[in-house]
Amino acid sequence: MKLGQAVKMAAKSIFSNVGRSALTMLGIIIGLAAVIILVSYAQGQNAALRAYYDSMGTNTVQVYAYSWNSSVDVSQALYNYCQGLDDLVEGVTPNGQVYNDTTISYGSKTLTSQDWETRTTVYLGNDQYGLCNDFHIARGRDLSFLDVERLNQVCVLGAATAEELFSFADPIDKTITINGLPFRVVGVYESKSAGVNVGTNEENQYLLDEIKRRDRMILLPNTMTRYFNDNQSIEDYVVKVKSSDAIAETVTSLNGFLSGIISSDYGYFSVNSPQTYQNEQNEADAMQQRFLGGIAAISLLVGGIGIMNIMLVTVTERTREIGIRKAIGAERRSIIVQFLIEAAMICGIGGIFGIAVGYIGTLIVGKLSFGTILIPSPGVTVGAAAISVALGIIFGLYPAIKASGLQPVVALRAD
Amino acid sequence: MSGVTAMLIDVKNLYKIYNEGKESEVRALDGVTLTIDQGEFVAIIGASGSGKSTLMNILGCLDIPTYGEYILNGTDVTHRSDRQLAHIRNKEIGFIFQGYNLIPALTAYENVELPLIYQGVSIFQREERVMEALRRVEMDDRWQHKPAEMSGGQQQRVAIARAIATHPPIIMADEPTGALDSKTGRHVLEILHSLNEEGTTIILITHDNSIAATAHRVVRISDGRIVADGTREEVGL
Repeated sequence: MKLGQAVKMAAKSIFSNVGRSALTMLGIIIGLAAVIILVSYAQGQNAALRAYYDSMGTNTVQVYAYSWNSSVDVSQALYNYCQGLDDLVEGVTPNGQVYNDTTISYGSKTLTSQDWETRTTVYLGNDQYGLCNDFHIARGRDLSFLDVERLNQVCVLGAATAEELFSFADPIDKTITINGLPFRVVGVYESKSAGVNVGTNEENQYLLDEIKRRDRMILLPNTMTRYFNDNQSIEDYVVKVKSSDAIAETVTSLNGFLSGIISSDYGYFSVNSPQTYQNEQNEADAMQQRFLGGIAAISLLVGGIGIMNIMLVTVTERTREIGIRKAIGAERRSIIVQFLIEAAMICGIGGIFGIAVGYIGTLIVGKLSFGTILIPSPGVTVGAAAISVALGIIFGLYPAIKASGLQPVVALRAD
Repeated sequence: MSGVTAMLIDVKNLYKIYNEGKESEVRALDGVTLTIDQGEFVAIIGASGSGKSTLMNILGCLDIPTYGEYILNGTDVTHRSDRQLAHIRNKEIGFIFQGYNLIPALTAYENVELPLIYQGVSIFQREERVMEALRRVEMDDRWQHKPAEMSGGQQQRVAIARAIATHPPIIMADEPTGALDSKTGRHVLEILHSLNEEGTTIILITHDNSIAATAHRVVRISDGRIVADGTREEVGL
């Protein structure tokens, strides 16, 4: 028997018993859709929090250190020490801020620190500030080592600040003033909040505002601290490490180093990594994913059992038909091929509907619980579809193999 | 009846034993030796449980004997693979059952077409042969009806069309009129006789003596053995 003929026969069989075919498909559709929706839900659950952590920079170590012993230059010592840790550390920067009130102006535009809505933070850092805090240059250039060394009055703007001061004009080489001091704009950072999709519920919107706030910034060379913070030394630093595996070792090394140069009587230091919170968060995420994944696996199993049941009943019902087909000359192979194609078609159609229902369900669930557009991961979709289709085919085929091996007279006797 | 006589079926010492060696041993066939020539119209009669259906199932390669030798159309079919038996059933034999055994999901046309599909006949030739077979049993106007939309007699005629579509040399009919009223039963029997006149060998299983009496040769079976074999007068109908 030719393949095309077998496909035709299988199609005829499916459409001549719509109810039975629909029931089989239902098992696949429910199992598959449940898996897709649940896993997507788990993945969407903490997307907002993760985006917030990411905006703070990944693989970073926060250092807070000061010393009253004026012979110790913590900033320089830390910088030099980190250069020596080049197998662990990618960069280090002072991470100071201007604490005094600021008034930033360009032409007629003025941003003051009194206005909560447009409050812009002025940071003090070096040429590695962008690297350490995951800011990427959109236009112009980053600060340079010489800018810091020579006390150049230059600045790099955050995306939101650039927009507020310059609208659509090009800010590069324009001069703004901060508390009356002129600063030439050398670069603009990319927005941190662009492309972050966290949904519209209250908690997520709060996190999104926090992320957006990070675009309201101006970076000055850290040596500018003398003009703004009453010449207090900068006490905050950020160390960027090469990978998350290097965090623990870097923290240990920095602790050892700092305890050597800062005696507890004359100063204070601490070394922290937001990664530790992030790891805890990831741990919790993973646990939740395992839990929902477990439920999803159970629903897939239940769907599979449903498929199995209907397929078994179907073929028992059809043993007589198999007997007739054998009696009039069907080879065993033809019968198995027909049932294989039939099962594959039912499961394939069911699989497509299941994926469709899963995607629509995910969109609805995403909208209702996170207020955002959730897209299921293709890996989960393909995996779950493959499992349910394979279950359907195996359970659809196994009884056909059994029944087609009977003597025709035995199969004909079946009722 | 065809003028040529050649041995078509030759069985020797056929046994079909269930639960052999146990207390519940049943000998459905207990040493049957029988030859049937080409073109014969043979009725196999016997009470229910006599083993006549078992004999037909084995002759039709629907079942395998426990012991014995069976030569069909010159080939030994006793030790054949499942696949070879499927080919033999497809090419050599047409079956007509008491319960029609049509596939309910398929139309009359599709049911008749089925053995031709398994034979690998092309779609164009199939159409011609299906309609020819349906015309032969006067069911060509009902080709698109499903079994549930037809009377018993009509279903049986479709079943006959299916049996003759491949032009097999032998037609085996197991109680073909058993489920039909006498008038439609007679019609079915007439079709079988006319097929026989065209040269097809007919083996008819029945428990109805009046139907068996229309055959040229009657074989009576009792307790798995042949107890009489000859013309209806010789068998005593």
